[in-house]
Amino acid sequence: MNRQPRILLSVLLLSLFAFMGWRWWSGQQPPNDSGTEIVFSDASTRGGVLTSSLRSEPRTFNRLVDRNFPTDLISHLTQGKLIRINRSTQEIEPALAESWTASADNQTFTLKLREAAWSDGTPFTADDVLFTFKAIYDPKVNSVLASSLQVNGKPLGVTAPDARTVVVTYPGAFGPGIALLDNLTLAPKHKLEAALAAGTFSKAWGVATPVNELVSIGPFVLSRYEAGQRLVFDRNPRYWKKDASGAALPHVDQIVLEVVPDQNAELVRLQAGQIDMMQQQVRPEDIATLRPLVDQGKLQLLELGVGTDPDLFFFNLRPQHWAKDPRGSWITRREFRQAISHAVDREAFANTVFLGAGVPIWGPVTPGNQKWFSPNVPRYGFSVDKARALLAGLGLANRDADEWLEDEKGTEARFTLLTYRGNSSLERGAAVLREDLRPLGIAVDVVALEQGALVERMLKGDFESIAFFFSSSNLDPAMTADFWLSSGSGHIWNIGQATPATEWEKQIDDLMQQMTSSLDQVERKRLFDQVQNIFAENLPVIYFVAPRMYIGVSSRVGSMAPTILRPQLLWSSDTITVRTPAPSGQGGR
Amino acid sequence: MGRYLLRRLGFALLLVLVVSSASLLLTRLAPGDITSDQALSLDPAAVARMRAELGLDRPLAAQYLSWLGGVVQLDFGRSLLYARPVSTLISERALNTAVLAVVALVLATVIGLPLGVYSGSRSGGIGRATVRVLSVLALSVPPLIGSLALVFLAARTGWLPVGGMTSALGADPSWAHWLGDLARHLPIPALALALPLAATLERLQAQAIEKASREPFVAASRARGLGPVQAIVRHAWPVSLRSVLGLYGVMIGSLFSGSFVVEVVTSWPGLGRLMYDALKARDLYLVAGCAASGAFFLAAGTWAADALLAFADPRVRSQEAP
Amino acid sequence: MTRRAALFVATLAALSLAAPWLAPYDAGLGFRDFLHAPPMRPLFQGFSAPVVHPLVLADRLEQRFEADQSRTLPLPWFGGATDQPVFLLGADNFGRDVLSRLLYGARTSVGLALFATIGAVVIGAFAGAWAGLRGGWIDDAVMRVADFVLILPVIYVVLVLRAVLPLVLPASTVFLLVACIFVAVGWPFVAKGVRAIVVAERDREYVQAARSLGAGPGRILVHHLIPACFGHLVVQATLLLPGFILAEATLSFVGLGFPDPIASWGTMLAEAGNYNAVARFPWTLAPAVAIFAIVLATNLIASPDRKLSPGRKAGSAA
Repeated sequence: MNRQPRILLSVLLLSLFAFMGWRWWSGQQPPNDSGTEIVFSDASTRGGVLTSSLRSEPRTFNRLVDRNFPTDLISHLTQGKLIRINRSTQEIEPALAESWTASADNQTFTLKLREAAWSDGTPFTADDVLFTFKAIYDPKVNSVLASSLQVNGKPLGVTAPDARTVVVTYPGAFGPGIALLDNLTLAPKHKLEAALAAGTFSKAWGVATPVNELVSIGPFVLSRYEAGQRLVFDRNPRYWKKDASGAALPHVDQIVLEVVPDQNAELVRLQAGQIDMMQQQVRPEDIATLRPLVDQGKLQLLELGVGTDPDLFFFNLRPQHWAKDPRGSWITRREFRQAISHAVDREAFANTVFLGAGVPIWGPVTPGNQKWFSPNVPRYGFSVDKARALLAGLGLANRDADEWLEDEKGTEARFTLLTYRGNSSLERGAAVLREDLRPLGIAVDVVALEQGALVERMLKGDFESIAFFFSSSNLDPAMTADFWLSSGSGHIWNIGQATPATEWEKQIDDLMQQMTSSLDQVERKRLFDQVQNIFAENLPVIYFVAPRMYIGVSSRVGSMAPTILRPQLLWSSDTITVRTPAPSGQGGR
Repeated sequence: MGRYLLRRLGFALLLVLVVSSASLLLTRLAPGDITSDQALSLDPAAVARMRAELGLDRPLAAQYLSWLGGVVQLDFGRSLLYARPVSTLISERALNTAVLAVVALVLATVIGLPLGVYSGSRSGGIGRATVRVLSVLALSVPPLIGSLALVFLAARTGWLPVGGMTSALGADPSWAHWLGDLARHLPIPALALALPLAATLERLQAQAIEKASREPFVAASRARGLGPVQAIVRHAWPVSLRSVLGLYGVMIGSLFSGSFVVEVVTSWPGLGRLMYDALKARDLYLVAGCAASGAFFLAAGTWAADALLAFADPRVRSQEAP
Repeated sequence: MTRRAALFVATLAALSLAAPWLAPYDAGLGFRDFLHAPPMRPLFQGFSAPVVHPLVLADRLEQRFEADQSRTLPLPWFGGATDQPVFLLGADNFGRDVLSRLLYGARTSVGLALFATIGAVVIGAFAGAWAGLRGGWIDDAVMRVADFVLILPVIYVVLVLRAVLPLVLPASTVFLLVACIFVAVGWPFVAKGVRAIVVAERDREYVQAARSLGAGPGRILVHHLIPACFGHLVVQATLLLPGFILAEATLSFVGLGFPDPIASWGTMLAEAGNYNAVARFPWTLAPAVAIFAIVLATNLIASPDRKLSPGRKAGSAA
């Protein structure tokens, strides 16, 4: 063992060197890329390859049976709708229906289909529309679109007087009108008819389907799918749409979606210029990472505005959950929720959770949803004194030596909060809430769960409180009625009630029903403002901050129409352009 | 000898079966399943139908038996997360893990053995001391720490790409391009795995050389006029190699476990990362399949090492045979 | 070697127990205006206590800070208000002091590893000794089970085991459960060696003498055989300890260990899994350095010539 001291000495020396080296090195600026000048060829708008990423792989190519993002994105690229809501203007635009007329009661729409063909040359006709509706309403298909193509819980009626005309009849008055058809993704009858007849429609067009079996009517065709690697889309030469100058769309030749399961890896690829855009917003904490590239002109950081799907926090308000729990007597009270709203300094919340990139909100509709946002809802703003007074009014007081409050029976003011694991804004938000409630004497136990486990508990009602988010694809509240109606499956604090459990839930039900069936847009907005007021006063769900959304795009991409809803850029994939580097600039990226 | 190897083989198969069954059953017991994340937007009836379609509503025993029936035909069921057969997913990912493991093993050998021969044949000097210090340092960098440190280094300097196995290569990468790209992604995870192994090899090789150098026939060869380097390379090294070989079986095991965390840290799309994703999504057939294949590779490695040792060292056989 | 190992383990234990007194701040205390604040460098001025320049937030979105050269703050141990925090090792994602969390984390991580090591050594020693002493089918069965556990893909088994347990558990339960899992996979390393020693010792004169004097097997075990294995036990403990520390780090790193507000080295490293953040905030790697130091110390203590002890496998398994 006589070498031991020598080894130790060498280790010490070595670490000293290493440390000195590190000091020297960390004093240096991190080396930049060689930064070769990129020379672009003259602004040609046609051609080029756009590379983007996808966080998870599709489970199927059949949009009728899967609502997950990869499948939805693929359907944006390859499939078509009769009409669509322009995601950036919120206007209704013609798509495969070139024009339409509405009946006087706004319940019957006659749509004129345009001359178009599927990518294999088969003409697109009214039969395809009838077939799609048949598949969606077939109980064996179990289509995810079925519930979003209903009015008052009843399916729409569809007939086709001739091959170029479709008549859609609503079973009742519906405020959003024809905008409902934005939910309809068309399916090719000539390819999928056999599967529907055989009862295997829900498995048709699975990911194992050879790509030449798939046909598209959108701007691109899927030309290659390498599982776990990438999806390659080529221009659809039969795409119907032309740009303003009459040139055929889409502009780019090819779109490649690289499968990058990890958000950090995705950011690294954007930094390295290997992908032109990510498929979701840049987290606030990553903006500093991208800033140098923006300054070098390699990247554009687009601010999309205030997000429309903010993180939310709610208690379990099912009476049966609290039946045997003494805390139920105060935890389900409106005053308790108002006290929590008073306890949180929303400015500080935005600073901590979103690094300042967020705005305080008081209800589920954020300023990002300009059409429906109501700025005048009741606010229970930051005031520790008011919070204390409300808690005292509930009989909560500190009755022993510890720092927490107790109720009259001596039960501690403590609850469990479940949140998604690995979501930095939710995890930070939950920690902030815990720290803000601590000085009031309310203890919060934060538990981070995987998404699936959390949703399972939520549906079973096996939780005390939850902080999470969900994304909606539609800004019109009539299309997200599941959340507002007490009988809805998205009425998260007390799902699927037979009759409204509270007076205010009944009021909201009534107002929403009127609002949904009203055809007068001003009246609808007025009714919905009332809904927002009742909601903000009773706080079944407490909202704190809506983040500002950013998206990072390579500076070679142009003609974008960014929106707040996903897919933020590729919803209009046909008009996007990319600049291709001239040969001399190769290797610059 | 044959009987001994057969017995070890039976043991290995039992292991694979027990591990995979246990993970299937355990995953099934855990709360939540694959339909949970769909459930929010589907109505309860649709979720129930989806469960029925995926066979998740059957009792545990029935699910297990049907799964076991498939396993016999090497059918591990379908991954609910990827909607693809578990066996194809696993074979894809296992290939990636194998690439990583083989490169790490080669790296460890190439670094460890020569250094071990060098430091074992020296009786002192600054070179030997340096090798020893480096070796102790490398031995103290387990894969978790090593991969984090290397990833930090790469992210900080931009010398090597971080994360994943290849870059986004576009639609039609040429073979050379693809290989070059892979070669740039390999060093970080491979080094993180290889460093402690290389150090282990170096230490063992050095000891073995030291011991072999003291053998009379090496001294005799020196006396016959062979130079010191030749004496070692020609005579001492082959003798010492036998004990080093025995280590490879152990190394396969530690490579396999070490690669889990390295894959998670560096987003390497291997078996470990697949298992991690499957566990997170509660994709039970995939979890069971991963555990089964993990146990299989480990058992195969151990068995191969046993066989190697049994061939090299007759004592092992006689000891084990009853 | 035995004494050095004992000293090392005792130092670790003392350090982790002393966390509440050594740590400048509470492990859960977050300073909201100091998310990812960089380490402050202490300035030594003559013989007075060292001071630091306070940090001022320069850009919140980009998390940039500037040192206010005009003012100084005393180190937290020498008095000072908590609203002007001093971060000697920087702050994390929630604005918590990394140094404090490192110390509190030692209590969790090292404490758990020590606890599991003691458990594994005690169980392994008794199982091995029992098998060696009894021989026959008991020996066979115990060693079969040990062999089986030894070749299990440990990390997968631990992951699956931890994943099926309910996630909503208080920290103390997580501590016990994880410790039990570690003991279950750690005991065979000890048992195999102990059995070999016991088999060699049981026929030696002093054991024969004790037996002939009427000592029962229990007495022989406790008074003669286990002491004979003492050296082996200490070596095994020294090898298992860093293995368990790493295993905890791995579990918490992948999100199956301790829940976030609990400071442990693994939960701290989980943040370092984001490589963009690591490049900008290298001080979040502090627990990795601590783990490296412990493994290095172990390797230096357990003489560098014992590389092939089975404990190595446990170490690299994590």
